[in-house]
This record gives sequence, C-alpha cells and structure tokens, in this order.
Amino acid sequence: MSRIRAIAWKDLASTMRNVPALAMMLLAPLALAALLGFAFGGGQSFSISATKVAVANADTGAAGAAENAGAVVVGVLKSPDLKDIVTLSDKPSAAAARKSVDDGKAAAAVVIPADFSSAIFGAGATAPKTAIEVYENPTQEIGGAITESIVGQALLGFNGARAAAVAASGLATANGEGDRAGKLAQQTAAKYIQGGGAAAAVSVTQRAPRLLGGESTKDVGVTGTILAGMMVFFMFFGANNVARTILDEDRAGTLPRLFTTPTPRHTILGGKYSSVFVTVTVQAVILLVAGRFIFGIDWGRLDAVAALTLVAAAVATGLALLVISLVRTPAQAGAIGAGVYLVLALLGGNFTGAAAAGGTYANVQKLTPNGWLLQGWDAVMRGGGLPDIVLNLLVPLLFAVAFFAVAVLRFRKRYA
Amino acid sequence: MSIVEVQELRKQYDPPKGVLAVDGVSFDIAQGEIFSLLGPNGAGKSTTISMLSCLLHPSGGDAFVDGHSVVTDSQAVKEAIGVVPQDIALYPDMSARENLVFWGKMYGLAGAELQARVDEVLELITLVDRQKDRVEKFSGGMKRRVNIGVALLHKPRVLYLDEPTVGIDPQSRRAILDGILALRDQGMTILYTTHYMAEAQELSDRIGIVDHGKMIAVGTNDELVKIVGEEAHVELKVDHYLEGMVERWAGVHGVSKAMIDEDFAVLLVQDANEVLPRLFEAAAAAGSRITEVNVTEPNLEMVFLHLTGRALRE
Repeated sequence: MSRIRAIAWKDLASTMRNVPALAMMLLAPLALAALLGFAFGGGQSFSISATKVAVANADTGAAGAAENAGAVVVGVLKSPDLKDIVTLSDKPSAAAARKSVDDGKAAAAVVIPADFSSAIFGAGATAPKTAIEVYENPTQEIGGAITESIVGQALLGFNGARAAAVAASGLATANGEGDRAGKLAQQTAAKYIQGGGAAAAVSVTQRAPRLLGGESTKDVGVTGTILAGMMVFFMFFGANNVARTILDEDRAGTLPRLFTTPTPRHTILGGKYSSVFVTVTVQAVILLVAGRFIFGIDWGRLDAVAALTLVAAAVATGLALLVISLVRTPAQAGAIGAGVYLVLALLGGNFTGAAAAGGTYANVQKLTPNGWLLQGWDAVMRGGGLPDIVLNLLVPLLFAVAFFAVAVLRFRKRYA
Repeated sequence: MSIVEVQELRKQYDPPKGVLAVDGVSFDIAQGEIFSLLGPNGAGKSTTISMLSCLLHPSGGDAFVDGHSVVTDSQAVKEAIGVVPQDIALYPDMSARENLVFWGKMYGLAGAELQARVDEVLELITLVDRQKDRVEKFSGGMKRRVNIGVALLHKPRVLYLDEPTVGIDPQSRRAILDGILALRDQGMTILYTTHYMAEAQELSDRIGIVDHGKMIAVGTNDELVKIVGEEAHVELKVDHYLEGMVERWAGVHGVSKAMIDEDFAVLLVQDANEVLPRLFEAAAAAGSRITEVNVTEPNLEMVFLHLTGRALRE
C-alpha cells in the first residue's frame, strides 16, 4: 500500500508542478461556465436576455371608444410579467422606431397604425382593415420572434372579442333587436378588451417532474448546469493528462526501471490509477467549491454530490487509462484522447446540459457514462437525493469498471 | 561459486520471423566478480541485461540469479539485483534526495532504514551538497551518479550496469569506473556492458565478447588476447587506392588478415617490424603512398577483429 501511495504522491506532486495542466483542469471549466452562463443570461434557467423593442404608437383612438387600443397593446408589452423578456422604448414615429432597429439599438420595432382603434372598435363591415407592423432585425431572430408572438397574442384577444361582438350583433339583428343590441355588443367587447380579456379565466400550468416520485423543488441555474458539464468534460482531460505519465515514463525509462524493482506490476498500475483518481477528484472538489462561492451554485445534497463526484472520477480514470493503453505515444494520447472526450461530451450533453435534451438525443445521452452522470447532476441540483440517482451512479460505474478492465488487459499484454 | 548462471538464453522479438536479438547465450559470474559483456551496438548486450532484469521474458533458455530463475521466480531475482539502465531513468522534476527516497520505497525500504540508506548513497555518489537540487539542473555526470545510486539503495547482491559511461566527460567516467572497482572490492558482483574495449580491459575480472546475439568468446583479458596470439594490429592510411591496396596487402607474407575500417586499412601481422617494409614496397609498386601508420600490440579490439572480421567500433 505504501508503494501505491508513493507512486500516486509522486505523480500528484508532478501534476501540481505543471502549471499549464492545472490551468486546463481548473481555470478552463470555470471560464467556460462563466462565459456560457453569461451568454445565456446567467439566471435560473436557460433564459435569453431581454429583447429591446422600440414602439411607435400612432393610434388616434376610435370615436366613442373610451380606450385607445394601441395603448392597450403597448400596455401588454410593458406588462410586469414580461419585464424579463421585453425592454420597451417609446418612439415618436414609425420612422424613428424602425431606425432604432436599423441602428441595432432594438431587436424589433412595433408600429401601431393611426386607425388601429377604429379597426378594433369599429362596427361590423364599416371598420377599417389595418395591421400592426413588427419590424425585425434579421440578425436577432429570437428577439423578433418573441415580439411577434406577444403582439400576435394581444391581437388574438382583440380579434376574438371582435368576433364575439360581431356574432352577438348579428344574432340581435336577426332577433329584431336592431342597432341597440349591436352597440351593446360592441361596448361589451371594448370593455372586455380594456379589462385585459379573459386571460385569467382559463390558463395553462406548466409542470416538469424530473425526480422519482415527485417534482423538482428547485430550478437549476444555467451556470450550474454548464459547470457540471464542463467539470465532467475537463475531468476527462485532467485524467488523461495524469494517465499520460505512463507513456511519458515508458519513454523516459523510469517505467521499465520500475519494472526491474521488486514492486509488482499491479502495484505500479494501482499507483498510477490512484494518482489519476485522486487528481481528478481533487479537481472536481475544487470546481464544486469554486462554483459554490464564485457563481453561488447550489449543487444539492452532500451525499449525492459526493457519490456523483467519486463515480465521475472513476469513469474519468478508467477511460483515461483505456485511452492510454490503446496508444503508443504521448502525442497520440493527446490527439486521440481529445477526440474521444469531445465526441463523448457532444453525445453526452456536456455542452448543452442534460436538462436541454429531449427525444432521440436523450436516448443517445444514455449511451455515454457522462450522459448518465449529467442527468444525475441535474437531478441532484433540482433537489434529488441518492435514491433519485441510483441508475445515474450504477451505469457509469459499470462503464468505469469495463474501461479499467480492458485497460489492465492491454497493459498486461504490452508490458508482459 | 557462481551467483549468476546464464543457460542458453535466447530472445526473439515477434517470433517466428522477428529479430533474434540473443541467440543461445551462456555464461556465469562468480560472487564478487566484475563480468563485462563487450560488443558493438546491437550485439544483444542490453537485451541480455533486460532478460536478466526480468524486464523481458526469454524466448528460450533460463538464467539464475542468486539461485532464482528469471523465468519462474522473477520477484526473488528483482530483490537480489540493482539495475543501472543505459539511459538516465530518473524524475527530473524531483530532487536527488526525492528520487532516491522514491526509488528506495520501490525497493521496499521504509522509515529510518530508508533515510539512512539515502544518506549513505548520497555520500557514496558525492552529492550530499546537491541533494535538494532538482535532477534536471544536474550535469550529465551528476545524473549518471544518481542513476547508479538508485540501484545501490537496497544493497543488491548483483549490480547490472548497462553502458553507464556513455556520453559523459572523462572526469565523470573516471569517477564512475573508480566507484565500480570500489563496489567490487566491497564484495558486490557486477555485470557490466560496454562497447569500450579499454573499460572492459580495465574493470573486468572476466569478459564475454558478444556479436549478433551470440557469445563468441569468454575469458579473462589475458586469455582472450591469447586468441590472436602474438599478432600486432597495424593501421595504414594511403593517399589513394585504399581498396586495391588492402587486397594487395592481404597477400603479403606475414599478414594474416586485412580489411578496411573507415579511412584505414587494418591488418593483423605476425611481426610488425618485419612486415612493415614489405607493406611500403607493395604500396609503392601499386603507385600508392602510405601517409599514416599505427601499430598496436594485441588487445581485445584485435580479438574482436580476429573473431568477427570487423572492428569493434563498427
């Protein structure tokens, strides 16, 4: 055991002296998580920063109508519920609103025509036909689509009310109640619109149960999701970096020399395994602590986090030893290792987060150990405990054992 | 009594068509003896040492170190031997002391015994003052000394040294050779490989000459030199027509062998004083002029030349 410790400690000390490797193992995942978190808004979910919208409301109102329909639309856009999605700026004219978009100061412009209220509140066939213009910046498609969607929803309400009013008016006329009933229907529709419609009458409740036997109690921050992915991804690289010392030592002659000492070969391999495992475990712990204090990430329950960390370290170690056992030179280890880890990361969802996956991709994720691990991290960050991640621990552990077993067979053949 | 017995040792890489690096080598080494394997690069010396170190599995034959088979009892063999590889095999980012402590642990030493042995070895390799410096900052000679020191930590019964003086300055070489002789005087058995004839002659109690994986001669320096009898070694350089001259000189009375070695014609002659005038005459008759003459008394170089038809440095 003391010989395993000596080999592991020697490799660990050597890694600690390797500043570029440390930077890659620790700073790169933090920097990427910060960068991607910032790009996605850094909030509690994969949100997009608020869309800037310029509004030119030229609506002059309708005769006899108490409200200006254009102002209602602007009111919808200014709704407190949408403050995280839309930032509004009023413009004096349609040209000024469009210029804001052309100048890149807004993602979209909403131009409300002068006869908008007349079109909404006008009676029957005499009402003018008109349109609200959504002028979009083609390079900010998401912002434009959001604006279009909000305005479209508002108009749907208007058109629905109008349709109801026209239907009521028609019914009254058919019953011989004449103009009075038609005007009453129009006024009722106008009040309906002014009152904000029947939005609260029927609604959709979104639920996203992600844990066994219950729903998530927490929303997962985007930075936490990304850092979990980056952490596992860079644990692969960290493990590869330490495992590569087997090839380095082979070339430097220290590995053959170790084989001439009375230290058994399995002890030497055990020492190497330990050094890789300890290194990536330390790497993960540092990243978890840094994530907690720098980004305020709540990783979840300690026992589940510890279990996921240790299994992730076992996977990274087994995989790194397998890669090293399949190549001949440190250069090959770098190139082939990077390729393997990148493909696994793409398949497993290290760059997108397990939560963002769906359909076929969710199944593809389950072909990789990191995919299972990331789903485990997601569950734990949502408040899950060990019972929620049993499979997310066992499946990667089986991968780790298989990787290590093949690596041992390869090493035995090579150094026989 | 032999502490190392090598019996028909054989190594073929990638059989059945691969290179036969060692082809049925046999020899033995007595307790407290320095035995040198002398041969050119690629002769099979390092492969032989690798098999005796249990680093390579023999394709055939066996060897016994301190009574233990390298094939069936490698663990016991490894405990009995110390191996100094040809290339420096140390951790450059660790200090001399850290290296010795690490390797000591690999040899099973621990605690106070380990620290005491490290101190002793540092004294032995005269690096006490530099023990805390990283090995990467050392000169080639200092690295060689640490490289040897590692193999001495556990007081091995047999020390293997695989060309330990390659690429170092004469002063460091002298220090290493003196150190080896001192170890022998303390009773350590040493297996030494070299392609430097002078080292083998100076150090060895007995020498085995290897070529193309075969042991072609074994004996003391005097015994081996007797193989070539009283023949002298004559090197001649001519202004031109070297190949033609070698053929002519081969037929001169008193010349037993003639060959080309780089820019020289190398001849084995019975009596240099008697033969040299005839060699000059033959050169003149062929229109060549001898520009340099070197005459050497019988030595291992000549033995090798005599046995293989090639110079040792080839």
